[in-house]
Amino acid sequence: MTARSLLSFTAIAVLAAGAAMAQTGDVRIDISSGAGHRIPIVCESLKPAGDRSAGETSVTADATLADDLQYSAVFDVTRSWTGVAPPPEVQAVVSGTWTVSGNQVRLAGEVRDLPARRPIFSRVYQGTLQQRRSLAHQFADDIVLQFTGEPGVAQTRIAFASPGDRTKELWVMDYDGAQPQQLTRDRSIALSPAWSPEASLLLFTSYRAGTGPHVYVMPSTGGKMFVVSGRPGNNTSACYSPDGRDIALTLSMDGNSEIYLLDARGGSPRRLTNNRAIDTSPVWSPTGRELAFTSDRSGGFQVYVMDRDGGNVRRLTFEVNNTDSPAWSPKGDQLAFVARTDQGFDVYVCKVDGSSVRRVVAGGSNENPKWSPDGRHLVFASDRDGGSALWVTDLDDRPPRKLDSGGRPALSPAWSPRPGGASSTVQRN
Amino acid sequence: MNRFVPRHAMLPCVLALGLLAFGCAKKAVETPPAPPPAPKQEAPPTPPTPAPEPKAEAPAPPKTISSSDFQPAFFDFDSYALRDDAKSALDADAKVLRDNPQAQITIEGHCDERGTAEYNQALGEKRAQAARDYLTGAGIEAGRLQTISYGKERPFAPGHDESAWSQNRRAHFVTR
Repeated sequence: MTARSLLSFTAIAVLAAGAAMAQTGDVRIDISSGAGHRIPIVCESLKPAGDRSAGETSVTADATLADDLQYSAVFDVTRSWTGVAPPPEVQAVVSGTWTVSGNQVRLAGEVRDLPARRPIFSRVYQGTLQQRRSLAHQFADDIVLQFTGEPGVAQTRIAFASPGDRTKELWVMDYDGAQPQQLTRDRSIALSPAWSPEASLLLFTSYRAGTGPHVYVMPSTGGKMFVVSGRPGNNTSACYSPDGRDIALTLSMDGNSEIYLLDARGGSPRRLTNNRAIDTSPVWSPTGRELAFTSDRSGGFQVYVMDRDGGNVRRLTFEVNNTDSPAWSPKGDQLAFVARTDQGFDVYVCKVDGSSVRRVVAGGSNENPKWSPDGRHLVFASDRDGGSALWVTDLDDRPPRKLDSGGRPALSPAWSPRPGGASSTVQRN
Repeated sequence: MNRFVPRHAMLPCVLALGLLAFGCAKKAVETPPAPPPAPKQEAPPTPPTPAPEPKAEAPAPPKTISSSDFQPAFFDFDSYALRDDAKSALDADAKVLRDNPQAQITIEGHCDERGTAEYNQALGEKRAQAARDYLTGAGIEAGRLQTISYGKERPFAPGHDESAWSQNRRAHFVTR
């Protein structure tokens, strides 16, 4: 959440050069985009062109783009087509044309500053009609990049478990809750998905073997699954190291839940904890040099941090009791975790040294917080409005936003990294 | 996005992994996904063991006793210490096992919903192990007792209050 003020677009042009962006002028906009401080921006309807049906699909793109910019937590979006007047301090306007020819779409997007309407940025995106949401996502991510120096997360996905009658199946959906896709159909219990660093694979826990929870891996787009660890006892809470070479997980093959490292194929276990207490839920720091985990070695369960060789164990925070589900922020500076309440759990965030503890989600029970790859958001599972659903907080004073997930109950979320190698069609214009 | 390695490149590794005997693959090995690419991978990627299909419910052989002949052991919140009532239940269970020396059981560890899923998987195992250790202490062969933890995934009582939670914190016996 670093606030960047008065970021010059001349500087951004250097960043953007490799992405073939047309950059014009030396416009300066104040983008102090700390939590709760958002850039007012106007979205105009994309102008339909080409086939007469273009107007139907352009409306979808309008909504997707405006939602993406609003969800980014970088902008406060005024949608011009609603008739609502933008605030006087509005800084930029997003517009474009939406040209449909058969099954092909060409989105020519542009951003101009206000009130002068000088061009800030423009780019052309092409794809099929089925990819229309993706085109809007790409444009939105580029706009976020232009204003913050880092792309948005509109092209990321969220994996989750959907509970049924005594079952949990794995699903994956777009980051905004759209296009849910079922990954497992085992009528068993699958949960705790975790993405590979380049987002192509999912590790998860499943009871499908019938003899205990084992860890599996499968393509994140669906397909065959493979056993990663089916050792005696519990095989749970697995996640890849940031470089993808190792897997941290909980095994009880030695009689007690301990944290181990495996190689990426599931072999050569190395034990990190050695304690009669429960040790579980390991997560890596983004450098891969440390892990956070949960242990009840001092009585109630608490989050601890250790070096990747198992040494230098220290309790994360003494300010809150009964903490669990650690999640290391992608920039490495913060940890999210949950702490037990009478109702269940609240979500907290603190610095890596355990200081600056603050509660970011309360009300109902809130579990398994996971960071977005830009560190601006947390997705978490909650029963705050009754049913079991996934919610997103932007870590500010605004209320969390519920993800639709096709109307089905959802829990145990995992937010994907940005897809490795974005596949947008880029044209200089 | 998914990188698949050619089948011939993996054959030796598949054979090697087969020796580790993780499970009994019923289906032929298809081309599996490679592990996530490490920046500089020296060795060719090896597939993990193919996952067998979920176990179909096999028809149970005729048994003289059933799961309902066993009493569950109940636990306090966030605890796997055996209470006096749990020990009484396990004493009765030990007698059933002694009277039926052919009987083999799985001890399921269960938890209430108030911990995280991952913590409860560990806690449930502790409960199942506590019951197993008590039974072996009472002279039951360890080989007749398997354990599995369901954490909070298979609650017996659906409610969200102490009366439901107290039912869900248990070591539960299932005959094999």
